[in-house]
Amino acid sequence: MTLLDGWLRRATRCLARDSAAQVRTEIQEHYELTRDAAIANGVSLVEADRLAVNALGDAKTANRQYRRVLLTSAEARMLREGNWEATAVCSRPWLRWLILAVPVVAGIAAAAFFATGHLAIARDLLISGIGMSPLAAAPLLPINTPLRGRLYRCVKWVAMTGTLLLVFGPETFKLSWLLLSCLWPLAWTDWTRAAIRRKLPITAWPRHLYL
Amino acid sequence: MNFKGTLPTLILEALVHEPTHGYRIAQSIKERSQGVLDFKEGTLYPALHKLESEGMVESYESVEKGRPRRYYRITRPGRGMLTKDRAEWRALSRAVTTILGEA
Repeated sequence: MTLLDGWLRRATRCLARDSAAQVRTEIQEHYELTRDAAIANGVSLVEADRLAVNALGDAKTANRQYRRVLLTSAEARMLREGNWEATAVCSRPWLRWLILAVPVVAGIAAAAFFATGHLAIARDLLISGIGMSPLAAAPLLPINTPLRGRLYRCVKWVAMTGTLLLVFGPETFKLSWLLLSCLWPLAWTDWTRAAIRRKLPITAWPRHLYL
Repeated sequence: MNFKGTLPTLILEALVHEPTHGYRIAQSIKERSQGVLDFKEGTLYPALHKLESEGMVESYESVEKGRPRRYYRITRPGRGMLTKDRAEWRALSRAVTTILGEA
């Protein structure tokens, strides 16, 4: 393994395959120009090689900076899986309506329980139905601009948090460890999507990145 | 010398006259600063990618001496940002010089 190979291996750690290929190409180009300039100045090939790699600096620092601007392998995987999920839902109109039916059924069930005098169950079902509706309605809403996306995400988190607070009431804080562990995957997904949004130009955003 | 945070501005300045590739940008910054701003070249490209995703520069492929190279050119918003950064830098530099001059 050459010095440059070692540097590239450390600098492309955790980057997506495409990102890593891009880094390799641009660094290889840069390295060759630096090395050629050193050789032209009368430096030996081995010394020129060392100088060119030294000029690149610390590979770990470069890797940290690359991960801020290029897709990592985890982000690329989420993008792929999100595309698959979006295609699976959006290409089947019946599935979109079925998902939307969940909060509607919850609402109807709440009305039925209310009518039979089961007020507590009716209340919880109604709140859950309302809380779920932003998620269920997402495939049918025209969320295709960054502003609408931001608004939707705000509504989604307010609805989810509000639902938990209303359903569990004073118990919410006692059960916070459980609720947080349940919400963690959602928060992680949103966090990763935010990172992807920062890295991709808006024109390249797939539909699910707005949500 | 540590010039953290000013690299994007220096890159835009290096691109203001003509499009060029990463190696020349690095050399231009080093030569114009007479070797004072000696930065690690591996960090140049992440800064270029960030500027590109912000729409401040755009890149294209071109062939130089038979080798394909990625060239970068400054965009109109990039020029606007550079003008703003120059003004901010002058104000900051004046303020620091005034303070240090008093010491």
